[in-house]
Amino acid sequence: MEEIRRVIAPYERILLLGCGTCMTVCGAGGEHEVSFLHSALRVAQARSSDGIHSFLEYTVKRQCDFEFLDLLVDKVNEADAILSLGCGIGVQVLAERFPDVPVLPGVNTSFMGMTKEWGVWDERCAACGDCRLAETAGICPITRCTKGILNGPCAGTKNGKCEANKDMDCAWVLIYKRLEKLQQLEKMRRYYPPRNFRVIPRPRRIVIKADVEQGEDNG
Amino acid sequence: MANSLFEEKLNTDGFLVTTEIGPPKGADVSEMVHHIDLLKDKVDAINVTDNQSSVMRFPSLGGCLLVRECGGEPIIQITCRDRNRLAIQADLLLAYSRGIKNVLCLTGDSVDVGDHKEAKPVFDLDSVQLLRMAREMESGKDMGGSELRGVPQFCLGASVHPEADFIEPQLIKFEKKVAAGAQFFQTQGIFDIASLRRFMQYASQFNVKILAGIIVLSSARMARYMNDNVPGIIVSQAIIDELADVEKGKGLQRGIEIAARLIKTVKEEKLCHGVHIMAVGNESVVPDILEVGELISMPG
Amino acid sequence: MNVGNKSYSESRLERSPDHSLMPPCQFACPLHMEIGAYVDLVAQGKIMEALQVIRDGNPFPSICAYVCTHPCEDACRRGQVDKPIAIRALKRFAVEFGGDRMIGAEAETKHEEKVAIVGSGPAGLACAYYLRKLGYPVTIFEAYTKLGGMLRVGIPQYRLPREVVDTEVQRLVNMGVEIKANTRIISLDLLFDIGYKAVFITVGAHQSLRMGIDGEESPGVIDGATFLREVNLGLKPSLGEEVAVVGGGNVAMDAARAAVRLDAKKVSILYRRTRQEMPADPREIEQALEEGIDIVYLVAPTRIKRENGRLNVTCVRMELGEPDGSGRQRPIPIKDSEFSEEFDTLIAAIGQAPRTPSDFGVRLGRGSTIQVDPITLTTNRAGVFAGGDAVTGPATVTQALASGRQAAFRIDDYLQHTYPLVNKEAEKTLSGELLPKTVEMIKKIERVEPPSLALEARAKDFGTVELVYGWEEAINEARRCLRCGMGAEILFQDKCATCLTCLRICPYHVPYLDKGGTIQIPPDQCQACGICVAECPAKAIVLRKPYDRRHVDEELEHALKSAAESKSKPLIIGFCCQYGLFGTGALASLWRESKAGIWIVPVLCVAKLEEGHILRAFEMGGEGVFIAGCGEQCSRENTAFWVLQRVEKVRRALFQIGLEPERLQTFNLRASEGDAAEALDNFIGLIGRLCLASVIKQEVRS
Repeated sequence: MEEIRRVIAPYERILLLGCGTCMTVCGAGGEHEVSFLHSALRVAQARSSDGIHSFLEYTVKRQCDFEFLDLLVDKVNEADAILSLGCGIGVQVLAERFPDVPVLPGVNTSFMGMTKEWGVWDERCAACGDCRLAETAGICPITRCTKGILNGPCAGTKNGKCEANKDMDCAWVLIYKRLEKLQQLEKMRRYYPPRNFRVIPRPRRIVIKADVEQGEDNG
Repeated sequence: MANSLFEEKLNTDGFLVTTEIGPPKGADVSEMVHHIDLLKDKVDAINVTDNQSSVMRFPSLGGCLLVRECGGEPIIQITCRDRNRLAIQADLLLAYSRGIKNVLCLTGDSVDVGDHKEAKPVFDLDSVQLLRMAREMESGKDMGGSELRGVPQFCLGASVHPEADFIEPQLIKFEKKVAAGAQFFQTQGIFDIASLRRFMQYASQFNVKILAGIIVLSSARMARYMNDNVPGIIVSQAIIDELADVEKGKGLQRGIEIAARLIKTVKEEKLCHGVHIMAVGNESVVPDILEVGELISMPG
Repeated sequence: MNVGNKSYSESRLERSPDHSLMPPCQFACPLHMEIGAYVDLVAQGKIMEALQVIRDGNPFPSICAYVCTHPCEDACRRGQVDKPIAIRALKRFAVEFGGDRMIGAEAETKHEEKVAIVGSGPAGLACAYYLRKLGYPVTIFEAYTKLGGMLRVGIPQYRLPREVVDTEVQRLVNMGVEIKANTRIISLDLLFDIGYKAVFITVGAHQSLRMGIDGEESPGVIDGATFLREVNLGLKPSLGEEVAVVGGGNVAMDAARAAVRLDAKKVSILYRRTRQEMPADPREIEQALEEGIDIVYLVAPTRIKRENGRLNVTCVRMELGEPDGSGRQRPIPIKDSEFSEEFDTLIAAIGQAPRTPSDFGVRLGRGSTIQVDPITLTTNRAGVFAGGDAVTGPATVTQALASGRQAAFRIDDYLQHTYPLVNKEAEKTLSGELLPKTVEMIKKIERVEPPSLALEARAKDFGTVELVYGWEEAINEARRCLRCGMGAEILFQDKCATCLTCLRICPYHVPYLDKGGTIQIPPDQCQACGICVAECPAKAIVLRKPYDRRHVDEELEHALKSAAESKSKPLIIGFCCQYGLFGTGALASLWRESKAGIWIVPVLCVAKLEEGHILRAFEMGGEGVFIAGCGEQCSRENTAFWVLQRVEKVRRALFQIGLEPERLQTFNLRASEGDAAEALDNFIGLIGRLCLASVIKQEVRS
């Protein structure tokens, strides 16, 4: 909250913008959270002597596609800054679409994960671009091993837990057990050479559009 | 043809003794030099640890250079935590050129257990990949495929964890390290002879030399701390009790006794090919351990 | 909540209609009363409002409160969990404690056309009530001296006190209904001749059916309807010591229980089928048995002979065979199983039929009932309508009331020449069984029966047997209601991101993923606890009833506005569960708002309270906020857990804003923890200290 209040401090009219897709599912930036943030900011403003902000809250279906943002033009015209509760993608797309308005991030986008149960999320994918889940019985060594090694485990595992966080399982113990169950332990005995850390070098782009001449009749 | 003095000794049947020195946190190496001098003639080789437990220190490479200067036989420890493959290959070239040819290849502890918790962990390679890479450098090419002008030759080692509570994955790892080129192993600290015996029964099929890691504890509190915080260490309750059962100030003495006892057992029963003594901050007592453990070091 | 800047979806919400479904209780009621609404009001302790809802749907709630056969209870889905809600008893409670007797009724004349009502039973009285409300001059013609039909001459006093009927009749008189008692109508032509424009025939079914056996005419054999009439008119027919009653319906029960209260020493009921097939109300049967009446099943009289001043009754035993027209198994006499018994009196109560004068000129049908069009209630004669038992044969009081109401509106259509449009689209009703996974999670609370008059007291006189609930009993019974059809729905499917939160957190396992991967919240399973509504990350779920949707917002804004106008400091807002405010004595002390600065926002279960509400209280000047639940009496699951989750979240935000998290407290969420009043006092003290501290800090800074 402190950080958010600091970044919005110089602006008067703030558009609090939520996102209706991933951010809603993970309980971090949907309409509910936008409303909560709005309420909290109003309390903060009411109790301080120098409140200059006025807030407008809104949630779009997604912030990562320009077409959805086109619906916001009127609201953005009325704002001095946008505080986005979208992921890092949403913030940047907003900034690209509305270059004349400061776009500020309201959440720290951390990882891609799964819901273990309500209120508990675990990272599962690091978007490394070199998926090897076939070799590790569907358990990712990049996200679930703190060292991200491919020839695991290291010597730090104790009670099946990771040396870095005793609440988290050692990925390689999990991989061993599951490979054993699948009777595919030979996959773990193989030597895995060093990763290609730059499968797609940054800044990254994927193009599926084929480079074909655009004709008049048949497209 | 052995690449180093230590490798020569590995090729004999003698009982090997190595120890390790922890470098200082700072540029003042006087104490380290003192320890090197103290130990260089009493052991077959000296390891210099590399940012051990992810705590930033004077580097292993620098420490090994000092060991050479003092006339000792160094074993450089390289972890994958702090350097990428370019840096490691470069360091290996420097090490070889300065007569440091014994390399202990480690993955490295995670950044979370150390004193720079916000650092970026590198782990461009793991220990197995590091072993392979060093071996492939010996054939004259670097990892990118370019020819090397001045080809290094190494004596490669790795670590193993005989007392791991879930041993099967560790055994797979051990085999991969052997296949990747490890010639010698220094184990994590052992406290339970029975576990070591079981492990050696399995490991003796491989043509590698194994040195049992012996940790010198100085108090029950230290033992418990290491249990909870240092990766790879499991101190048994029996040992903790033994350490607790002394008068104040005599903890280290008891620790020495325990260490010596373990060394004697290993030697008498010919369990391993040698021992690797880790005195963690108490390097000055290593000679005492050697005496009490009735070890005779072969001068280099 | 954010009054200044409504989100797009908030505006959408305001325009959305009522999506609640009609619960099975309401559907089963002949009058379609809003049972769910008034039961919920009783659960909140708002008895007068409950009575208002009841009066909106029923012209004579006090009568129904005593004698309705409660088809609502038979349809009540709570019965799938444990026992149905005691709806009639709750209505009786509302009538007694809401001061029904004191409510006046007014009407003004708007039309010229006069309407005549022949018969003053429940159908006739209801028709008079509604016609009068519509503004017609109405006259009721009653053959007897007193009005009420079966209410007066059929149902005994111990079931329906006479004062109740008198009060209702008087109310009609006050409304301007003309009464012509002691006037038997023989021909309808006369009525039209003297100026009535429409006639409603509700002569009831008072003619007892004959058993069709020898000796039926003997002295000592009376028919049930006549017997009850005599009793109810105050005559005390002498019965002798041993009495037999033939029949198994309510009239038979009434007759037997009346006999017990007269001079009969032993009363037996002879019924030709078994207890399962008896059409009488199960409670009547129970009470009859309690009062010492013997019921002999599978037996029927075949011959009666009067000998030596007594009746010798020959009976034959029966067994049950194939089902007959009524769907019940036909009783078949067992050969050679005759036996004889001696009685002083035999009362034949096997059924009644209407007795319509032929001069009325209306077509009759099966069982001598008057034939009518089911929608308009018209007979074959223009301007002549019929309803009640005269049309249906013996039925229930409530059905007669519904018939009377329907007739009133159809007569209005006729007289105003409007097309009788009947609402073809039946309001969507809720049906379906509760699934076991949901039933399992519903808190089991035993049904409490209203108390009855002690047995010894009953035989002495005709005082009312069924007594009324006390406050706590009534409220706790009303809490058992599952609120069918008033639950949650995903109103904004386009906002739903299928995050599965509602599916995961519902304590009753109601939301599910259908084959297309869309979340469905089946309305017939939802228990209306409100947890998913507050937790939905997309705010796509709402409660079906518009009242429920904005209830907390409106109460909160009202409280804040009032608080702003008062000068008491410091300002503390308390969100208190409405259901517990009364029921739990611990919180009753909160009503003494003499503690300066406390403003109570009543909520209908704290599970519906959202973080935004709490923050708004702080934003608008609240120095402290507390949330008080109804403790272990909460009829919904997991409410405390979710309130605490939200409280933790708000406390974290308060801390980050620079406010002390202790400014938000909860009381009485789970089992009553000690003295809530004391805890509240401590809380108020704490807030006072914190305010003082911050004032000092401010001054130091400046």
